[in-house]
Amino acid sequence: MNKTLRIARHEFVMTAANKAFVVITLLGPFIILALSVLPGLLAMNRAGAAESVVALVGGDEAARSALDAALIGAHGSLAEAKDEASARAAVAEGSLDAAIVLGSDWTESASILLYARTGTDVVLYATLERALGEVARAARAKASGVSPELVARLLQTPRLELRRVGGDAESGGEPSEGGEGDRYLGILLAVIAFVMLLYMTVLLYGQLIGRSVLQEKTSKTVEIMLSSVSSRELMAGKILGPGLAGLIQYGFWVVMALAGSSLLGPKLGSSLTSSVITLPNLGWLVVFFICAYFLYASLYAALGAGAEDEQHLSQLAWPMLIFLMLPLMLINFFVMSPDSTVSIVLSFFPLTSPIVMFIRVMVSPPAWWELVICVAILVASIAGAAVLAAKVFRVGILMTGKKRKLGEILRWAAVK
Amino acid sequence: MLEARNLRKAYGDVVAVDGLSFVALPGEIFGLIGPNGAGKTTSIRMAMNIIAPDSGEILVGGHRLTEADKAKVGYLPEERGLYRKAKVEDMLLYLASLKGMAETAARKSIGLWLERFGLGEWKARKIDELSKGMAQKVQFIGTVLHDPELVLFDEPFSGLDPLSQDALLAAMLELRARGATVLFSTHIMEHAEKICEKILLVDKGREVVAGGLAEVKSRYGRNAVQIEFDGDAAFVSGLGFVEGATAYPRWIEVELKPGADPDDLFRAVAGRLRVRRFEVVAPSLHKIFIRLVGGGSGEAENE
Repeated sequence: MNKTLRIARHEFVMTAANKAFVVITLLGPFIILALSVLPGLLAMNRAGAAESVVALVGGDEAARSALDAALIGAHGSLAEAKDEASARAAVAEGSLDAAIVLGSDWTESASILLYARTGTDVVLYATLERALGEVARAARAKASGVSPELVARLLQTPRLELRRVGGDAESGGEPSEGGEGDRYLGILLAVIAFVMLLYMTVLLYGQLIGRSVLQEKTSKTVEIMLSSVSSRELMAGKILGPGLAGLIQYGFWVVMALAGSSLLGPKLGSSLTSSVITLPNLGWLVVFFICAYFLYASLYAALGAGAEDEQHLSQLAWPMLIFLMLPLMLINFFVMSPDSTVSIVLSFFPLTSPIVMFIRVMVSPPAWWELVICVAILVASIAGAAVLAAKVFRVGILMTGKKRKLGEILRWAAVK
Repeated sequence: MLEARNLRKAYGDVVAVDGLSFVALPGEIFGLIGPNGAGKTTSIRMAMNIIAPDSGEILVGGHRLTEADKAKVGYLPEERGLYRKAKVEDMLLYLASLKGMAETAARKSIGLWLERFGLGEWKARKIDELSKGMAQKVQFIGTVLHDPELVLFDEPFSGLDPLSQDALLAAMLELRARGATVLFSTHIMEHAEKICEKILLVDKGREVVAGGLAEVKSRYGRNAVQIEFDGDAAFVSGLGFVEGATAYPRWIEVELKPGADPDDLFRAVAGRLRVRRFEVVAPSLHKIFIRLVGGGSGEAENE
């Protein structure tokens, strides 16, 4: 066993024989799911949110009963209000969530006045609008002497029936269960969960590497290490060890995801996520984790060697982290337009490609040669980053006593 | 064998090492001595290939230190450091494995060394829990447990109690007996005096004096007398044939002027002090050091 592997083994044990590692391995997927999917679900379903109380001022019996029915369905209730001023005051002080003011001939007017305090509960407002809209349409039809049933039939929008075809995501051309809205939501939530997983692990492991290299410096062990091994072996070992721990973690998660979706999927009835949690997708998740890990770990190793303390390290790392966070911030855009120019360019740029290309794989599978080029660029970048990091590492690991600027640290790569 | 040829290294405007040459042979303990900032650590780091010399070279067994050589070299850096969360035995096993030792052999050797330094019961404790002195002994063990052919100790004794210092000295003598080349740096002359065959005294990066310890002593040997006494010996430094005197509470080291006879001193003090011991000695390395390096390094006086 050569020295690099011995260091890697030691670093692996240091990483894996750690309570935090075990907890994250076991609970990681649930934590990620909770962090990424639950807020979305809560906003959509309104379950768990406080009851919305809406008051109606004026209006007729038809409007009142339509609103009442709509609010019961939307986890809310209709309250009484004497007049517009008192309703408005109640909304302002918070005892009402919203108040609707209807005039005597409101069904003919183009707009309806709604008082609300936050103005952000768009799901509730849409529900109210839909309910009143139906009443108004029916009233207008009646006034014009047209049968309301005819109006309803005329205004009926044909529903889109989504069938995904082509690529890994082929669902056999069968109409998916649930509406297309559910379907988009399902894909989006699964993609967000996966992307969060990728992002969090790369970030956590990158920081782990940076800190462990920095620790080698601050604990003064580096000279002892260098009396036994070369700086290249030391850096390689320190990157490989935790990387192996990360792979084991991913292996566990992949097995859990497959088991979970095949066991729980049918029970839950809907196939919300089953078209995303597939073996090829999970395979790509691992591939992109490995690529992103080695790329960011190499860069973090170089920065760790150049840093003076943890605070300095995070200062040095932020320009790099922007690239890691960018895909996360644009995730909605990538999911909705995976074939746009921006998506395609960022799916090849090495610092963003692991996440962006992975989103494309899940949503709109790219051609095989695109994947080959993407991985080739990543491998080449990793090789380049490793060479650069090894040079910076060699110089930086012995430098102490001064907080250096990023530019100065990067120039160490040129030291012969 | 460790050989330096006209070694030079500057940090910016400060010349840390300025043209040093020396040879340390197998079966020999070589003392690199000098005040703080003399260039000792820089020289040792250049030997370990941790930093590169600006000019000149430092060779291990006739060539620049290679990765393959590292298994046969032990190095105790001046800046001590171990993984704080690691257990004593695990840490040492890891260091041994990086030197290519098989685990069973390493485990046995670690057990023996820990016993020897009275750390047997600390095997399973974390480095964090050790005192500074204990951690230093653990680090010493890490330096020697793979039975190296060349060992470089940078200030190995600092921060150790006298008993531990003696244990280290004994271990170094053992390494020498096994034919290893041992080099250590110190600014404490008593340690160099106890075990060195050869010394190189450096100051401000330059050689001040070099050679065998006995030879250096005789070269700078002048008449020196140690007197252990009761009474007040202040008058001694005023005597006409006395060059200088270093007074300690209960004894005094007196340097005589060239040609002066120790007998004269004996007669001069006989009536005025209660003499317990009167000994004509070679000057201590400490005195030579102070004389050669001079007042520029006041801290040497305090050691």
